[in-house]
Amino acid sequence: MPEAATAVREITLAEAVREALAEELRRDPKVFICGEDIAEAGHPFKVLTGLVQEFGPERVLDTPISEPGFTGLAVGAAMTGMRPVVDIMFGDFIGLTMDQMVNQAAKIHYMSGGKWRCPMVMRTTLGATRRSAAQHSQSLHAWMCHVPGLKVVLPSTPYDAKGLLKSAIRDENPVVFFEDKMMYRLKGPVPAEEYTIPLGVADVKRVGEDITIVATSSMVQIALGAAKLLDEYDISAEVIDPRTLWPLDEKTLIDSAKKTSRVIVMDEGYGRYGVTAELASVIAEGAFFNLEAPVKRLGAMHVPIPFSPPLEDATVPTEKTVFDAARALCGK
Amino acid sequence: MATSVVMPALEMAQETGKIVSWVKKEGDTIKKGEILLEVETDKAVVEIEANADGVLAGVKSQAGAVVPVGATIAWILKPGEAVPAETASAAPAARTMTEQPRPAAPPAPAAVAPAAPSATVSADSVQISPKARRLAKEKGIDITRVKGTGPDGVITTDDILAAEAAPPPSPAAAPATAASDLPAIARLMAERTTQSWTQVPHFFLVRDLDAGALNDAREKLGPAIEASKAVKLTHTDLLIALVARVLTKHPKMNASWTGKGIQMNSSANISVAMAVKDGVVGAVIPKSDTTALADIAAQRKELTERARDNKLRPADLSGGTFTITNLGMYNIDAFSAIIVAPQAAILAVGRISDRVVAVNGQPAVRPMLTLTLSSDHRVVDGAQAAQFMNDLAEAIRNPASVLSN
Repeated sequence: MPEAATAVREITLAEAVREALAEELRRDPKVFICGEDIAEAGHPFKVLTGLVQEFGPERVLDTPISEPGFTGLAVGAAMTGMRPVVDIMFGDFIGLTMDQMVNQAAKIHYMSGGKWRCPMVMRTTLGATRRSAAQHSQSLHAWMCHVPGLKVVLPSTPYDAKGLLKSAIRDENPVVFFEDKMMYRLKGPVPAEEYTIPLGVADVKRVGEDITIVATSSMVQIALGAAKLLDEYDISAEVIDPRTLWPLDEKTLIDSAKKTSRVIVMDEGYGRYGVTAELASVIAEGAFFNLEAPVKRLGAMHVPIPFSPPLEDATVPTEKTVFDAARALCGK
Repeated sequence: MATSVVMPALEMAQETGKIVSWVKKEGDTIKKGEILLEVETDKAVVEIEANADGVLAGVKSQAGAVVPVGATIAWILKPGEAVPAETASAAPAARTMTEQPRPAAPPAPAAVAPAAPSATVSADSVQISPKARRLAKEKGIDITRVKGTGPDGVITTDDILAAEAAPPPSPAAAPATAASDLPAIARLMAERTTQSWTQVPHFFLVRDLDAGALNDAREKLGPAIEASKAVKLTHTDLLIALVARVLTKHPKMNASWTGKGIQMNSSANISVAMAVKDGVVGAVIPKSDTTALADIAAQRKELTERARDNKLRPADLSGGTFTITNLGMYNIDAFSAIIVAPQAAILAVGRISDRVVAVNGQPAVRPMLTLTLSSDHRVVDGAQAAQFMNDLAEAIRNPASVLSN
């Protein structure tokens, strides 16, 4: 959180994203947006409302329903000097873009000996509990984290979303930017003036002494809620949001783990071979001799996300889940 | 299937065994035949071997515990196995009889993970956090003495800090450390001799004897025995045979004090005191009264060799009814020995040396031998013991008459 937000202006996460895009579109004529239903429709989640009116259909470009096609378009545009921002409506669709992202965007700088760059951003979504069933509810960001050459950003507040997206657009490398579709209406303080947040710097969302909860994106608010409950049991929880999964601010995670000696790692993606596995491993390697207990991971249940609301809710960690896990780790 | 480690019955009448020490720790990988632990019976400290391959787990009884024979004291697990739940044991009284500080053990059975241990379950006996383990090492705290208060009894940093702050255990809580530092045999010897010396009312009878006939018998009988048994006949062998045969006429000298009264023994099992690495033990030649001299010599030789190699077995040390102890080889003329309870007597044998004695009113130089008998006055009185000594002296004067029987 910014220590001294001059204006206590509160906007939603969707508005913060829109502001970031608008500011970068104004700032740099090479920036353009492309994707499905983003111009007149302003995106199904209404994140992009008004942008086509200001910047015109050539810079807010509606595309056919062909993720591989317009992702490839963006990769080529980025290589030839533009700064495209690709909109992939649901993160579940990134499978369609994988060859463009993994084999082209991620590698061209390396394979060309630095002659080519691919300064593009892919914005997409994650998160369940929107009753969107198994093909529109997944959190697949771990896939992108696995590939050298891609940066992966997961904002958890309007403030972070705006500052990180602006940095992502200005970055010389391909960046995949995951927004939690359930957090678009989350309000938070965002200063009106220009700011950016560097990629690779974690944020301590709450200072605590007894246990560290490392949480990403949608799980940060859950962690903060659980931390409040834990206060009543004399368990002081520290909540840390890495904000970018690559580059990863390992030091902040390890330092916190060393301080509290107990760690929960949570992420809405699948735990198996997932983000929590990597974060837990980093912490175990870095803070092993300061740990009182094994690092506990919380993530999506290892199943396709159910359409049935009660079943869908059961697949995602809740404040209660975190609360119980934290008490068990602390033996209280 | 998990293999149980039970307190073995090492002697016929053994009811309990005391765990001297665990050679292997919980979590150690073990091969069948490796030494698992040392158990003390009334007479010996015995190394107990593993009866299966696997990982030692579920150790229920720690050093110092006295455990009924047949009680399960630990388990040997194959990969993937867990310590079986407590079932009605073959030994219903399977429970330790002394309270010992226990290292924190998980209340739930600890599973042995085949390859990748799960997040919270460890096969290690002491469940301790990495941080607490590091702190304990830095502070020199023995984690096996720390009780864990964390989840599932895990030792946490708080427990280590508490252990550091706690006063050292009082003498009452921990057995005298000096004694427990002793080798088990030495400690056993200390306990047994103290017990006997302070509780058994000893009295001593001394006889100087002419050992000429004994020497003659050795020279006469030795070659044949050496030929048949490949063993050199010793004075001790002759004395074992003679004492045992004389004992048949003096059953009370061969009796045992039971605490309530006198128990007669049907055969004379002569126990021979033998020096081993850390003390002295009594190796027994069963039924010495009816065993031929040659066989006595052969058995004595075998026991001597086993004692020298520290390989005496519990059976070698059990069942003695009368002890002979000989310090002649150390040039001791005479000495008094402490009775090995519950036996009634012990015969201390000095060296045979030429001394000037009166023979038929004239000074003569004779090979002389001094025997000192220590007797338990609860079992025998002076007159009875003296009669035994008298008959023994007669036998030594004329060995052939007794041995030919």
